[in-house]
Amino acid sequence: MSSSIVTFTLGDREVDVMVTPMTTLQTVLRYQLGQTAVKEGCRQGGCGSCTVLVEGEPMLSCLLPVEEVAGRHVRTVETDTPTDGVSPLQQAFLDGGAFQCGYCTPGMLMTATALLERDPHPTHEAILEAMAGNVCRCTGYTPIVAAVEAAGERRG
Amino acid sequence: MSVQEYLMPRSLPEALDLLVRHGAELLVIAGGTVAMPLVNEGISLPERVMSLRHAGLDRLERRDGRLEIGAAATLTRLLNAPWVADVPLLAEAVRNTASWPVRNMGTVGGNLFTPPPGGDVAVALLALDAEVRLASPRGERVLPLTAFYTGFMTNALGPDELLAGITVPLAARETAFLKLGRKHANTPAVVTVAVALEREAGRVATARVALGAAGPHPMRVAGAEAALVGSPLDAATIGRAAEAATAEAQPFTDGVATEWYRRRMVGVVLRRALERLT
Repeated sequence: MSSSIVTFTLGDREVDVMVTPMTTLQTVLRYQLGQTAVKEGCRQGGCGSCTVLVEGEPMLSCLLPVEEVAGRHVRTVETDTPTDGVSPLQQAFLDGGAFQCGYCTPGMLMTATALLERDPHPTHEAILEAMAGNVCRCTGYTPIVAAVEAAGERRG
Repeated sequence: MSVQEYLMPRSLPEALDLLVRHGAELLVIAGGTVAMPLVNEGISLPERVMSLRHAGLDRLERRDGRLEIGAAATLTRLLNAPWVADVPLLAEAVRNTASWPVRNMGTVGGNLFTPPPGGDVAVALLALDAEVRLASPRGERVLPLTAFYTGFMTNALGPDELLAGITVPLAARETAFLKLGRKHANTPAVVTVAVALEREAGRVATARVALGAAGPHPMRVAGAEAALVGSPLDAATIGRAAEAATAEAQPFTDGVATEWYRRRMVGVVLRRALERLT
C-alpha cells in the first residue's frame, strides 16, 4: 500500500495531507487537521453529524474518500467561525438554546449554512426539507429549526 | 486489510481498461453512499476501488424525445435539471430519496445497485420504461431496465461491463409516485409505488406499475398492470389492481417493516397512488 499526498483548500488555506488509499475526509479533517467539530457519528451516511461543505455543497465526510476533494474547497465549523466571536447563525443557535448534548450541532450548522447561502429567508418547510438528513437524538428539533428561521430573519 | 489503491479514471475507456485489468477484485463506486458504509464497517474489504466520479459519465441531456442520464450524475443534479418538472414522476422519486447531502453524492446509476428497501429512483425509472446502457471494451448494449435486474443484488452486467447511462423515453403519461416510510423524510421505504398510465376514451390504454421494497429488487407487477388495462379507472378497477399487486409482491422483513405489513401496504399504497389519477 502506498501513501499519497492530497492537496485541497480548507477554508482559506491550502493543506497537504499524507494518506493511505481511501481514507475518509472525516478522518483526515478530525484526526490530521484538528477539525474536531467534524463528528464521527454513524459512519453510514445516516446521521449527518460529519456534514461539511465541498464547493459549498453539504456532503457527508464519512462517505467521502479524501482523494475526491483534491483541488477542491472544503469548509467546516472551524473554518466558518470568525476569529473573534461567532457567526450570526451560531449566535442564533446560542440565543435559542438550539442544542442539548451538542453532538449533532456542527452538522446542523453546516447544512443550515448551505441552505441560507442558497435561500437567505427559508420557509419552515424548506428548513425541514434541507435538514432532514441531520439527526438529533436529544430530539431537540424545534429550537434548531427556530434558530435557522431566526438567522434567516436577522439577515433582514 | 485496508484498501491498496483508489483509482480515479478520467474517461469511460480508461475505466473499462482498469475493470478488465483488475477484474472481480475491483470494487466500483460512484457516489459511495451505498459502498462506503460497508467499507467503513469492514463488511466490504476491497483491495482496489475504482471511482466513476471523474469518468465523464455525469452528462444530463434532453434530446430527440428522451432523457439521457449519465450513470454518475448525482441525484441533486438531476433534481436541478431545467427539464425535471416535465418528468414529475422522476422528480418526486429523487426528492423522496435520502437526504440533501446524500443526494449531493449519490448517483442515478448507483440507485440501480442499491439493495431494497433502497432504489426508489429505480422504481420510477421502471414505470417510465427506462433503458440502461451497458458499456464494455467491445462496445455498448442497451437493455430495458426490467432485464437489468436478475435477483437480490445481482444484475445483467457482465464482468467487463459498466453501467454508462440511463435512457428515459419522454411520453405523455399520467403518473403518480407514492412512498410509505416510517417517517416523512430521509427514510427507507416500507413500500414505494410508481405508476404511469395512458388513457383513451375513458379507459386505461397502457399501464406501468412498479414497486420498491416489495421484492428482491425494484420490479414491475404485470398482474396489476393487466387489471388496469382496458378498464375505466374506477374504484372496482383500482381494487382489482391493488389485489393483484398484493398477491404478486415478494416482500421481506427487515428493520423497517415486516413481510406481513409490507404485503398489506402494497395494496394500500397502490390504491392511494391510483386514486390520485382518478
